[in-house]
Amino acid sequence: MQRFKGTSAPRRLRVAACASVLSLATAFAAAAGDYAEAPMLADKVAGGQLPAVDERLPAAPMVEQPLESIGSYGGTWRQVMVGGGDSLVQRSLGSGGLVRWNREWSEAVPEVAKSVSVNDDATEFTFTLYEGHKWSDGTPFTSDDILFWYNDILMNKEITPEIPVWLRAGEAPLVVTAPDPTTVVFTFDAPNALFLANMATIRGTDILAGAPQHWLKQFHKDHSDTAEDLAKEAGAAGWVDNIANKIGYPSRWRDADRPVLDAWKLTVPYVQTTQVVAERNPYYHKVDPEGQQLPYIDKVTYDIVEDNQGAVLKAINGEIDFQNVSLDAEDQRPVLVQGREKGGYEMFLAQPAWSNAMIIMLNQTHKDPGLREVFANKDFRIGLSHAIDREELNQIIYAGTSEAWQAAPRADTELYDEELAKQYTEFDLDLANEYLGKAGLTERGSDGMRLRPDGERLTFAVDVISSWKTQNDALELVKGYWNKVGIDMQVRPIEMSLSITKRQKNDFDGNVWVGGGGYDMLGLLDPKWYFPYEFQSSYASAWGIWAQNPEDPAAEKPDAEAMKQLELYNQVLAAPSRDEQMALMRELLEITKDEFYVIGTNLAPDRYGIVKTNLANVPEAMPNTFYYLTPGPARAEQFYFQN
Amino acid sequence: MLRYTLWRLALMVPITVLISMIVFVIIQLPPGDFVTTMTARMSQQNESVDPAVLEALRARYGFDQPVYVQYWKWVSGILLHGDFGQSFDWNSPVDDLIWDRLGLTLIVSLATLLFIWLLAFPIGIYSAIRQYSLGDYIATFLGFIGLAIPNFLLALILMWLTTEYLGWSPGGLFSSEYINAEWSWARVGDLIDHLWIPVIVLGTGGTASLIRIMRANLLDELQKPYVEMARARGLSETRLLLKYPVRVALNPFVSTIGWLLPNLVSGAVVTAIVLSLPTSGPLLLNALFAQDMYLAGAIIMLLSILTLIGTLISDLLLAWLDPRVRYE
Repeated sequence: MQRFKGTSAPRRLRVAACASVLSLATAFAAAAGDYAEAPMLADKVAGGQLPAVDERLPAAPMVEQPLESIGSYGGTWRQVMVGGGDSLVQRSLGSGGLVRWNREWSEAVPEVAKSVSVNDDATEFTFTLYEGHKWSDGTPFTSDDILFWYNDILMNKEITPEIPVWLRAGEAPLVVTAPDPTTVVFTFDAPNALFLANMATIRGTDILAGAPQHWLKQFHKDHSDTAEDLAKEAGAAGWVDNIANKIGYPSRWRDADRPVLDAWKLTVPYVQTTQVVAERNPYYHKVDPEGQQLPYIDKVTYDIVEDNQGAVLKAINGEIDFQNVSLDAEDQRPVLVQGREKGGYEMFLAQPAWSNAMIIMLNQTHKDPGLREVFANKDFRIGLSHAIDREELNQIIYAGTSEAWQAAPRADTELYDEELAKQYTEFDLDLANEYLGKAGLTERGSDGMRLRPDGERLTFAVDVISSWKTQNDALELVKGYWNKVGIDMQVRPIEMSLSITKRQKNDFDGNVWVGGGGYDMLGLLDPKWYFPYEFQSSYASAWGIWAQNPEDPAAEKPDAEAMKQLELYNQVLAAPSRDEQMALMRELLEITKDEFYVIGTNLAPDRYGIVKTNLANVPEAMPNTFYYLTPGPARAEQFYFQN
Repeated sequence: MLRYTLWRLALMVPITVLISMIVFVIIQLPPGDFVTTMTARMSQQNESVDPAVLEALRARYGFDQPVYVQYWKWVSGILLHGDFGQSFDWNSPVDDLIWDRLGLTLIVSLATLLFIWLLAFPIGIYSAIRQYSLGDYIATFLGFIGLAIPNFLLALILMWLTTEYLGWSPGGLFSSEYINAEWSWARVGDLIDHLWIPVIVLGTGGTASLIRIMRANLLDELQKPYVEMARARGLSETRLLLKYPVRVALNPFVSTIGWLLPNLVSGAVVTAIVLSLPTSGPLLLNALFAQDMYLAGAIIMLLSILTLIGTLISDLLLAWLDPRVRYE
């Protein structure tokens, strides 16, 4: 168990050291200019079904540094998908946009693009593409493809009714130009400092999905007379619907025809099957330092099971090679740890990017003025926070693997602030009662429960998603703690869609969620628990709704402090350098600390995934979030099976 | 008999129309729609959600239209074009999704039905004619266990046992190499290899209850004077048994078709999920969760029609078998 205990920090050092040693080898390989390919492709080349490897690769292909060692070809990477949602395919196959996260998740690095440069005020981003880069069907990939996405997908009002928030800066919409076949320039009206970070998330991969014009034109009415017929054939309502399905997430993963630039390409999509299959893309643009075309692994399969228990059984039966999604729940860990030997795997650390395992939010913009007055009182929230026995929660719910924490960045990040993370987390009933008294809740009813300042009995319900077992259990305990200080809170398990609807209408007392924003990048990209950024900021939904759309009937103008935070965040978006972004974000978090919007409970405990003992080049730890597209940036194309 | 059949067939038309309305109301009942589900999924990943985009999606899917317009679009599509609409979640026509799964569902159901009959029929008769014998006690004991164990638990236990001790790949109806293969005799063989676990799991409860019913019914019949009479006239025991009391006691067997078909198709949802069977149950459940309304609607609709057909078949069989039903 020793190796699980370390944080990811030492590992990062090791990775960095490896990379610098190997970069020497790179220069050598690139000069050699003679490339090797997988046996399964060599057969096809010999049979005349494929051009030779040198013709398939870009003129000067991208050299990927393996994490530990140069690999060899072959094998199948087996995973399991739990029926219904399928973010796993996107995560494991489709994490590469023009840029992609580096392993350490500190910056976006070129992936499909050869290089990227930014002007000083972060308004112009220039991407250089590889000369001779090809789609998985062999058609050349050029700047024209990105222009097609810009002109015919993004700027087409029917397909994209609203330009996504992350592509908006200033008044005028962004402009994309292509001075030559290997150069693409994105120009914004105002600084858009988080553009590259956004490009490394799934948002950026949407661009490449909408780029293969040689394939997409047939479905596009401006380019094809048969677009409507094709839509009808596919059962779609119209051509817009059809093309939106071809390129949108997650529907694009239900189509094996789409040309890609990824390491593997779907051959059996998740429709009508219980095993999704992807095979190597013969035109993938990367080689290892010895000139072997990547990926090393031939094939990726996803067995569909309908239940997490099925996934666990498959794991301990040795049928999963590398995976953390669906295998990282608290209650699965003991079984997985026990099954290591039988299943022939080890565990790797999939560190949650969540800051908090459960945050409690009371709606300070409640429609009922009485409750609003109580919730908006900071002393009330401080009192409730002190009443929670976080150590007991840690022992009972998280098996002692967590610690008391507010909604705050994690300890190993730049934005970490000990006071923000630890304030009011001390379990002290006297202090709690004192603060609740300060909040004006001095009177108690006949049952010992506190009365509101307006004389009514204080009672409210906190919503929790019924399928989230851990949070349901934890909230029941919190109910007991609060009961002891005379606060009557009801736990109300509700279904996810209902929870969304209620928050969109600002029609709820309070709810619990998993606290995001644990890592630096997430603090920047997903700040909704730090200030009222959108309707999901449930401590002040009406303000969040206002931030998204002031015209909404449920919207309410935020108070001065929150407005200041909104202004600061706009400055973050405009700040050209990362240091400035971080400085502004810290300033923003100071207000968060002062306002104490959210009552946190415990730091989200570490999660684990499993990796076959003979699978090499896998990091021992990685961040785990959809924003990182785990495990994509661990670079599965350089994983290989040791014999 | 012909008039009876025609009358029953005619009755099915208004019932089907009524069912289609109820189905549509049911799938519209949960708060929100498919766009809400998409939002919920994004939200679960802590993704930000832009309401303007959601509104545009709602308009594209036609959720902003009144319910009766949506209903008419759905029903007219089915009636006029045989088109069940599009599954939002799967990005594919509903027709493409359900037939394969319904086919596998029927295979599993029919195999289970056979299993139940083949076991329950002889054991039920045996328990009745050898009442209070050791064999009867054993059958009764096993029967009660079969009734008492929930299907999903039995499924989990069997799956664990076969994985742990036989090293089988857990779940599913096919081995890895046959999942995406074309139909062939080898694939059929592979299916049969995998079929017995779900059949046992699904059939245990039904077998147990049918044994009990058969036993009780037959015991009732065996007491009757006509049996004594036949015996006194020197009819051979086997012939007597099979020709008279068993035939009368057979009624519940026949009526099982009526409730077993839909019950196996829908009631097997939990088992199918535990065993990861590619049948219609998990598809329906996921469609309901995702508020993928045309897919959910189509499956519920087909299940309802299956129930109607099942009831019809069992009623006709009963009428054919038992004159008392025919003349009522």
